[in-house]
Amino acid sequence: MRLSSRGAGLLLISPALAVIAFFFILPLGLSVHGALTAADGRLTLAHFEKSFDLYTNDMLFTVAIVLLSCVGIAVVAIGIAGYLTLGEHPRTQSALRWLYRWPLFIPFVVAGQVMRTFLAKNGMLNHVLVGSGLIEPLAAQSLLDWRGIVIAFIWKQAPFVTLLLAGAMASLDVQHIEAARNLGAARWRVLLGIVLPQVRGTLLVGLVLSFVTMLSVLSVPLMINPNSPTMMTVDVAYRISTHGDYAVANALCLISLAFASLGAWVYLRHAVTRAEAAS
Amino acid sequence: MKLAPLVLAAASLVAVPVQAQTTLNVITAGDQNMVDYVNNFLAPRFEKLNPGVSVKAVGTGPGDAGSQKIYEKLSAQQKAGAAAWDVDVAVIHQRGAATMVKEDLLAKYRSQVAADKLVTRDTAKNALGQNVDGYVIPMFHSQIALAYNPELVKAPPKNFNELEGWVKQNPKQFGYNGVKGGMSGVGFVMGYVTANAGLGNSLETGPYDAGRKAAIDKALGNLKEFNKNVVMTPGNAGTLDMLNRGEITMGPVWVDMFYTWIADGKLDPKLKLVLPEPGLPGQPMYYAVPAKAANAALARKFVEFATSPEIQAEGIVKKFNWYPGIDAQHVQSKLDPQSWDKLFTDIKPDALQKYGRPFPLSEYFTEIVEGYERVVLK
Repeated sequence: MRLSSRGAGLLLISPALAVIAFFFILPLGLSVHGALTAADGRLTLAHFEKSFDLYTNDMLFTVAIVLLSCVGIAVVAIGIAGYLTLGEHPRTQSALRWLYRWPLFIPFVVAGQVMRTFLAKNGMLNHVLVGSGLIEPLAAQSLLDWRGIVIAFIWKQAPFVTLLLAGAMASLDVQHIEAARNLGAARWRVLLGIVLPQVRGTLLVGLVLSFVTMLSVLSVPLMINPNSPTMMTVDVAYRISTHGDYAVANALCLISLAFASLGAWVYLRHAVTRAEAAS
Repeated sequence: MKLAPLVLAAASLVAVPVQAQTTLNVITAGDQNMVDYVNNFLAPRFEKLNPGVSVKAVGTGPGDAGSQKIYEKLSAQQKAGAAAWDVDVAVIHQRGAATMVKEDLLAKYRSQVAADKLVTRDTAKNALGQNVDGYVIPMFHSQIALAYNPELVKAPPKNFNELEGWVKQNPKQFGYNGVKGGMSGVGFVMGYVTANAGLGNSLETGPYDAGRKAAIDKALGNLKEFNKNVVMTPGNAGTLDMLNRGEITMGPVWVDMFYTWIADGKLDPKLKLVLPEPGLPGQPMYYAVPAKAANAALARKFVEFATSPEIQAEGIVKKFNWYPGIDAQHVQSKLDPQSWDKLFTDIKPDALQKYGRPFPLSEYFTEIVEGYERVVLK
């Protein structure tokens, strides 16, 4: 009886296991093999050497961009979710609630294209700034470099983290908040001292998922800043489309996977802690 | 006796559908506009002249990868020993043509069509170092040139030395898209290296010599200096966008894209083009007939039609803003002066002949773009 239920259990998860084996483990194995094999079939580290030789700057750039974007996303998400939870103007709150989710439904490639005209030197943003007298026309500069990528990432990912965070904040016990307010705490103090510590796990998960997502985005850096330094995804695409060089592309992908694994490690550690706390 | 007309009538009834079943299979690399050109422009005209023939075009995708797919298809039929291959006309890039000629996949058909006498440019004979003489006819040429704003640039640079000087005097006014953002940037880098390496045209004509790497790296070192006063743009379209918004005043662009954007109202029509000495690269697409095409005679007829001066004028130049595949002077007489002027006002046919260069041999090509990452970007 025990054995057959175990068999049934295995049978039930076998489709999922098969999907993981064929669509994740197998390609990963091929990727590792491709990255470590020379043209004559011998094992080699030459592709990794070439990756580090040509693209070390791009690796540092990628990690810096993604971390910086995470910080920006956290600030925006805490701000919006905090206002949705603690704000005192119902109409503003519902307008904000309705508005902030929009970027969730915009694909990265569209976000990249929008930023390209919005952030250009003579683009819409600078037109507005110059028109409203905030900057001199000569001071207008193009934001289509690392700043453009960061802005596009924050714009695209902040709503996702806000969605998680606002949900977590809404499920908090309101008594804590009311008690703090009754004792005279300002709203920002309540947000940072009472609300945020209770939802920091959710915030962390949202940021880790965003970190991994942003690492893999090709369209935004390709459209905004495909030149040096740029993100590793652009280099991978370039090795394949211009050189047909899958070996170095595979090596770059594995290095990128190592970065993503750091995120996964943080995520798992947090998930385990939570599971232990729940049991 | 009375039966004879009936039999004839019956035969004609049968013959018409049989005749209509001749399908000419055209397979083309490149963007969707290539498929559209064959299906919407060439096919109806050719079918009208040849009742009973229907032309069917299939696309295999942009870039050398598109030509690679055609190569794989033909190569598979060759290896299988098929007597008649199911591709009658192939439209391919230079790199694909070089491989296919090397592996005997194409017919040496040029002398059997009228356009044979109308193509003298070396791209008809040489594809990235491989002799393709007789196997291909250029369908069109596309060319990279420098676009500039004539209101701000009174005397456009006539050569790369003048360009260097201009860029030094006008920092951050020249923009191009590096080597990762599309071919107009890659082509500019090729042109710059050709102008600075002091190797003449040996990068394009070969033979390959690994010892030239030092000269190439030295030219790339100059380019690193040059880049300090330059703006990097996000792609082929990015350069045009920035020119249009006035953020840069000069940059390398594809000529056909440039004119198409102006025609579509996406680009300031004041902008002009210049092709500085010793030139920038361009590339043709080729019409080829596979060695064992099932309808070889009809295929030659089709290519003859497509490379006739009338069709080159009306379709290639007027409708699609490409430079003609056959020699330009044969096309001029077939065009209204306005359309001709549009294509050749800035860059005259003789300048195009002199300064429209092929891309370097594939070995040098790889060496230059990798060298760009090694020398210029680091």
